[in-house]
Amino acid sequence: MSEFLEPLQYPFMRDALLVGTLVAAMCAVLSCFLILKGWSLMGDAISHAVLPGIVLAYIAGLPLAIGAFASGLFCAVGTGFIKQNSRIKEDTVMGVVFTGLFAFGLVLFSRTPSDLHLDHILLGNILGIARSQVWQTLGLGGVVLGVTLALRRDLLLICFDPGQARVMALPDRFLNYLLLALLSLAIVVSLQAVGIILVVAMLVTPGSVAHLWTDRFDRMLAIAVATAAGSTVAGIFISYHIDGSPGACIVLVQALVFAGSLLFAPKYGLLGRRAKPLEGQRPGNMPAQPNGLGWSNRDDLEG
Amino acid sequence: MTASPTLRDELPRLAIEGVSVAYPNGHLALDNASFQLSGGTICALVGVNGSGKSTLFKSIMGFVKPKAGSVRINGLSVRAVLKQHLVAYVPQAEEVDWQFPVSVWDVAMMGRYGAMNFLRIPRVADKLKVEESLRRVSMWDFKDRQIGELSGGQKKRVFLARALAQGGRVILLDEPFTGVDVKTEEAIIALLRELRAAGCIILVSTHNLGSVPEFCDQVVLINRTVLAYGPTASVFTERNLTAAFGGVLRQFQFDQSTIQDHDGRTIRVLSDDERPLVFGKDGHLEYKDRGEHEELLKQRSEQHE
Amino acid sequence: MSEFIQSLLAPFQYDYMLRAIWVSALIGGTCGFLSSFITLKGWSLMGDALSHAVVPGVAVGYIVGVPFAHELVREYHRSAVTNLILGLPLVLGAFVAGLLAAGTMAFIKAKSRIREDATIGIVFTAYFALGLLLISLFPASVDLKVILLGNILGISDPDIWQVVVISAVTLLVVGLKWKDLMLFCFDPNQARTLGLPAGGLHVTLLALLAATAVAALQAVGACLVVAMLVTPGATAYLLTDRFGKMLWLSSGMGVATSLAGAYGSYYFNGATGGCIVTLQTLVFLAAFVLAPQHGILASKRRARLTRTVSTG
Repeated sequence: MSEFLEPLQYPFMRDALLVGTLVAAMCAVLSCFLILKGWSLMGDAISHAVLPGIVLAYIAGLPLAIGAFASGLFCAVGTGFIKQNSRIKEDTVMGVVFTGLFAFGLVLFSRTPSDLHLDHILLGNILGIARSQVWQTLGLGGVVLGVTLALRRDLLLICFDPGQARVMALPDRFLNYLLLALLSLAIVVSLQAVGIILVVAMLVTPGSVAHLWTDRFDRMLAIAVATAAGSTVAGIFISYHIDGSPGACIVLVQALVFAGSLLFAPKYGLLGRRAKPLEGQRPGNMPAQPNGLGWSNRDDLEG
Repeated sequence: MTASPTLRDELPRLAIEGVSVAYPNGHLALDNASFQLSGGTICALVGVNGSGKSTLFKSIMGFVKPKAGSVRINGLSVRAVLKQHLVAYVPQAEEVDWQFPVSVWDVAMMGRYGAMNFLRIPRVADKLKVEESLRRVSMWDFKDRQIGELSGGQKKRVFLARALAQGGRVILLDEPFTGVDVKTEEAIIALLRELRAAGCIILVSTHNLGSVPEFCDQVVLINRTVLAYGPTASVFTERNLTAAFGGVLRQFQFDQSTIQDHDGRTIRVLSDDERPLVFGKDGHLEYKDRGEHEELLKQRSEQHE
Repeated sequence: MSEFIQSLLAPFQYDYMLRAIWVSALIGGTCGFLSSFITLKGWSLMGDALSHAVVPGVAVGYIVGVPFAHELVREYHRSAVTNLILGLPLVLGAFVAGLLAAGTMAFIKAKSRIREDATIGIVFTAYFALGLLLISLFPASVDLKVILLGNILGISDPDIWQVVVISAVTLLVVGLKWKDLMLFCFDPNQARTLGLPAGGLHVTLLALLAATAVAALQAVGACLVVAMLVTPGATAYLLTDRFGKMLWLSSGMGVATSLAGAYGSYYFNGATGGCIVTLQTLVFLAAFVLAPQHGILASKRRARLTRTVSTG
């Protein structure tokens, strides 16, 4: 056991675990909204699109996070604009826009002599996080997590029924952009830990796992955070012991958790489903309710 | 709160004046549509698919901005009215993601969001209102069910409860009777009548022509523009319907019918999507060409013998 | 003046540049041809997913297959046949990984409540992570950068052979069966009622997609393959309403942008993939604004027209 815990001796491993857990929790919370809104691949698009922003910010001497955030948001807005104004399907537009931005970033990168490591941007470098970076990640990650959780009811409504948000004069457009901004910010924060390519997994898998386990949103959030944080810790330990890429290990553990849930989740798992009674065979839950309007709960089973 | 007490107590008046809406590609979805309704009415919005029904709904809900004309409720713009949460809507079943991890209670509570604080933490009054609404549609016992685990009629009732919880004075229902059994349909109609008695404007988009005269006191006929509107009896005429539906409508004429035995008039049945089954007197099946059909039957029975 | 022309012709003096230019053009044309089907079928993200999902196959190919193939052909002189054998492990590995990933997605989509887009995200990242893990465990045999960003300037003979064979097969199959595939994209049920093997067409299209993804991996890398498979089709879709014309436009655009991009990359320190895809995106944006029927200028004009008609 002590051998397994050996990595905890090293400060860089402790930092990695701390940052990794926070990033995992933040992405997990967002992932619940994204998969319900059908924006799973928005994370993919935005994460690739941050590249030109990073390079431009580097050239301009600005903090890289600001450039990344701006170009991520630009991708989201640009996708929306082109989709609104053309007959091309949303997923195609997304593919065109994010690859265009990513390619532009590569060209810029190849023209800019710099000490940026492209593979760190693409694949993350969780074991080499500088102290200042740790604080920045924890701070920004905390803000994203806090705002998302505080506004979770509104965000849930715009995922579930944007029309209802509109007729109640909630700022639905603002909330949409807020969700996009939170997503962009989360991606920026996660780049250091898992990189552009694998952050998509952090933004899709935990929510999907939780969706297999529960029908209540608050429980879904809790399950997503717990499995994501657990997978991250496990992934980092495993990567230390097999000397493999930590980002890859984290994502693979998450994928295994998903596979396990797909099989064994009590209600929606493939094996769990067999035991479930058929809909409508629960007479105990269907009290007859005579009242003035004559609603009947017994007779209007799916017809 | 911005809500002025008068507007919620006043009878609502909905005025659509010269509304034109264009698609992003420049084509017109709605051209110069006008009609007025005032409180205490159930009005059917009738038209073929693509006639602009949903566009009209969307402009009343403020989702699309008309290129020309205005939508006003009690003289106020849609924006101002939405801020007071006076417009409620019940979406079509197909527009809802039934896998969504929310319970019946959660959905009804969404009707209260407009009245809640920034973090949408429900107060006692909100909870009471939601409970009352759910009880009114007899869904209280299902409040902890996930919405996908309900029958078609129950699903519809949850969204009705949401509109009740919101306390909307202008209520829009999009195809409320699809996927709903007859009993629930009757119960929904009874509820709508109660709301009408309380002074609401209820606008129901439907292509279920047969049920319109049963519960709607007014009708708006629409096909890219408003063709006619007013009391059901005067608007729901064969001529108007033919104009609104063109060739889409099926017409059945029963020249020789068992129903007409006593007064001698022919019977015409208009139907928009399905072939109606009509029984005449004493349960006789009605056929389009009754005489011809009976001839055929007679021949058959003769052949048998 | 002559100096200017000389600097323009500079890329053509180098053997590797000439090779890069024609190989990219071939890949660009093949991907462009296929992209009409991909965009109409709504498989854009499938292209993205498959291009990432083939990575573990490529990694296994490098780690296990390539040394084995070298062993096989050590006795012989380098020839077309030996080159084909040397290229085979990567193609085979990528192909198997791609189809496995597609199968996994189809399975999860059919059997669970998870939406399709989320399924795609989960599966392709898992496959990609597996590839990454393998590469990080055997850093000596694979160059990760080549997989991620492509390396058309340093493309080896076996890789060129592989690209040529994949392109030839793809162009041949699609060229022969494009009408069936078009019907399948447009209305799979109709295809089925006509007695066409819809399942077979589905798998064919997937297999071609996986194969071209491997070829495009060489040119632009895993991150940008999706652009080669989507952007030309989307651009052509803005320009025409006829499928036949769309095929020509998209493959023509694939060839032209790849030629120009590879040529231009001489001046950009080798970011060939970046140049090609940037160029494609610019062409797309031009079409988005200027396309005669479906561009935004055209629809603005139309909107103005209807306004004057309705008010006047």
